[in-house]
Amino acid sequence: MKTIIAEERGPRPVLVNVFLRGGADGLHLVPPVGDDAYYRARPGLAVKAGEALRLTDFFGLHPDLGPLHGIYQAGELAVAHQCGTADETRSHFSAEDYVNHGGLEGGGWIGRFLHRTRDAGDGPLTAVSIGAGVSDALRGVAAVAMRSLEEFTIPDRDAALRGQLGAMYARAGGVLGAAGASTLRALERIEEVRKGGGVSGGVAEAGYGDDGFSGGLRLLARLIRARAGLRAATIELGGWDSHFAQTTLTSGLMPVLARGLAAFRKDLGGLMGEVHVVVTTEFGRRVAENVSAGTDHGRAGVCFAMGGGVRGGRVLSDWPKGGIGADILEGPGDLPVRLPLHHGLTSVLKRIRPEVSGEAVFPGLEAGELDW
Amino acid sequence: MGFEDMKTPETMTRRGVLRLGGGVAAGVVLSGCGKVRALWPRRGELKPFAVPGGEGIGPVAHVLNRLTWGAGPGDYERVRAMGGTEEEAAAAFVEEQLKPEMIEDDYARAACAPLEAIRQPVPELFEYKPAQLDDELTRRAVIRAVHSERQLYEVMVGFWSDHFNIDASKLDCQWFKCADDREVIRKHAMGSFREMLKASALSPAMLFYLDGRKNRKDGEADRPNENYARELLELHTMGVGGGYSQEDVMEAARCLTGWTVTGREVQFGIGRVYFDPRGHDDGRKVVLGVEIPAGGGAGDLDRLLDILMGHEATGRYVAEKLCRHFIADEPPVGAVKVVAEAFRASGGGIREMLRALFGSEEFGAARGVKIKRPFHFVVSALRATGSVTTAGGGVKRALRVMGHVPFHYPTPEGPAPEGSAWLATLLHRWDFAVKLTDGGIGCSRNEPEKLVRCAGGVGGLLGHCFGRRATEDELAAAGAVEDVVALALAAPAFQIY
Repeated sequence: MKTIIAEERGPRPVLVNVFLRGGADGLHLVPPVGDDAYYRARPGLAVKAGEALRLTDFFGLHPDLGPLHGIYQAGELAVAHQCGTADETRSHFSAEDYVNHGGLEGGGWIGRFLHRTRDAGDGPLTAVSIGAGVSDALRGVAAVAMRSLEEFTIPDRDAALRGQLGAMYARAGGVLGAAGASTLRALERIEEVRKGGGVSGGVAEAGYGDDGFSGGLRLLARLIRARAGLRAATIELGGWDSHFAQTTLTSGLMPVLARGLAAFRKDLGGLMGEVHVVVTTEFGRRVAENVSAGTDHGRAGVCFAMGGGVRGGRVLSDWPKGGIGADILEGPGDLPVRLPLHHGLTSVLKRIRPEVSGEAVFPGLEAGELDW
Repeated sequence: MGFEDMKTPETMTRRGVLRLGGGVAAGVVLSGCGKVRALWPRRGELKPFAVPGGEGIGPVAHVLNRLTWGAGPGDYERVRAMGGTEEEAAAAFVEEQLKPEMIEDDYARAACAPLEAIRQPVPELFEYKPAQLDDELTRRAVIRAVHSERQLYEVMVGFWSDHFNIDASKLDCQWFKCADDREVIRKHAMGSFREMLKASALSPAMLFYLDGRKNRKDGEADRPNENYARELLELHTMGVGGGYSQEDVMEAARCLTGWTVTGREVQFGIGRVYFDPRGHDDGRKVVLGVEIPAGGGAGDLDRLLDILMGHEATGRYVAEKLCRHFIADEPPVGAVKVVAEAFRASGGGIREMLRALFGSEEFGAARGVKIKRPFHFVVSALRATGSVTTAGGGVKRALRVMGHVPFHYPTPEGPAPEGSAWLATLLHRWDFAVKLTDGGIGCSRNEPEKLVRCAGGVGGLLGHCFGRRATEDELAAAGAVEDVVALALAAPAFQIY
């Protein structure tokens, strides 16, 4: 089996969706240091105004996210606060489903986007999930999961095996047949990338950590620089479900997030203009801290956008004038969603392909955009 | 401790293990480092065996597919002989497997005997490094799934491990998951759902994993930690659409305040689960419209669980999950109804639900429509090849790269139940198929050429692996390669069951 791979020319934008699994606390990542009600609700957990890195007169950045501060100041990172979805279940799984599917429809939001903007040059590595499984956000297009280029192989002892497997899977049809075909094509493409073909192994001084998140971003940077046909990728950083001892838990995660993203940007250099990163989570957390120095499932959180010409250096929000006191909170004491997540995502997608409409990618949801 | 360990007391010595190992047909010897090295396949030397020959998957191959982790050499022949017709044989096998305590399991017990650390009582577990416990836990799960004769029981252990998912890498779960595995999952896997639910609620690992131990009310302003209460309703009993509200979650969390466990921080008495009345919110609660009067204290837990058990959503949700697991990813409504009724009538009797399920028309009809998840694929490949495994590095590496190492799914909903969610692992399955048959999985030994011979040639091998006669195309493909066994395991027909 031989696949012809067309050389990619000109700018080829790539969407990178970073999902913070577990419900990252927006009030901890980007604390509203100008809001007294925030300090009253979180006597033990609030980030002190003097310790937060300045974003605006009102919002700060958690100091553990330090590597992102310079990117914000350079105007390449924007924040949407009070951001979220219409899912009110406060269930991880239903909220994550809602985010990935882009509403209540089947299929994934990125899958629908790619489907709408498909061009003839699309190859086996159009959509990639870093990890063991393909993200639901990619549903609707052929996608592969990988953890490293080195792992993505089979022994070549029996030369006839691949061909016969290809034939068997082609005859099987259905989801198995499709998975077999895309696996074989991806395998061939990755073997080419691995063999080198003028692709460097990554920028050593980019500053990646030795954690899996940095490793995944580094692999994506390699695929992007190799012009391997990547259009969209998903990567997860899990563990944000901070019911208990939130400060300890997040102080391990925030540096991983910030270091990885900063190194990815440095690694890609000038290519960052066509790499659109969005950082999302399933929901934010309860405004008031609980009895075990943590926070329970809430509603609105934060979303970040980096690169791809985002109008950064700004925090978008519709913060209540009198602060986040009990009068404006929703349900058990949660920050209401004011900036719909899918509006933020629509704006990013429109920078990649202006002709794409919010209705097409997020069917059933009210179309709109965020000014970033 | 589960009944499968009864003949192997926790205090059993190496000498005792050796005696036991020597006394059974398929023996094991211990190497110097205490690891088990098995000498012969599961039931002795490979010898010629009959394979399914029907055009499609027949009743016997179907129950072997669904009630076991995959058919091994000779399994079809043994089960087929249990009845005059295929249907009778299949029904007899179901009844056999519904009574695991009546099935001898010396080989698997002996193979697991050297895994001594995970059998220690709770406080002593803390004398071991988490890496050793983790290694033993994974190996026991694989060895039992591959080598146990109580196959349905082992399938149920996998099912409940997902249902009451705990990530054994979180905090003190690194130690406590060993106790949860034997005292919650293995102890109740074919018993009473109500008892398993309570055992899970008070399991040290669960109290750590979902923060229940930190859920207490000391002052008026204290807000309970909802983590466990929410998953109890959403994942363990009623299901996300089960009809509870955020208010119910908060009320359930209040019921559970005060239950806690001692962890590593104490010198003596690690793992003591107790109720601290000073941390309990003893006021009146209303859960799902049912009142729990003030002053219930520790009894609030049982009141809460009874309310959940009595709610029709719980029976339906558990029935749906069982039907998804054993019948089809889209559980048939009729079967769900029958199984939910068995749940209601038996107060959550697991055998009763299973008997109803296996007796349903929908179960009998849904042959070969499910896709294996990675753990199932790996174990079924080991079984199909008659491999003897110690579940060492090669097996663990394969499970890791496919994202399906037991007890390591990070979030409480557990790994996706549908096989279709795991198809991105196809390449790694092919990789495993090739390596397993050429000696690349060092901990798992088999004899591919002899296997083909004993199955009656290439056609017989494919029939054995696919549960039905091979098609002309499949035979032609097998004829074109050298690695026939690898091709059979990598084929689409081996990914389904």
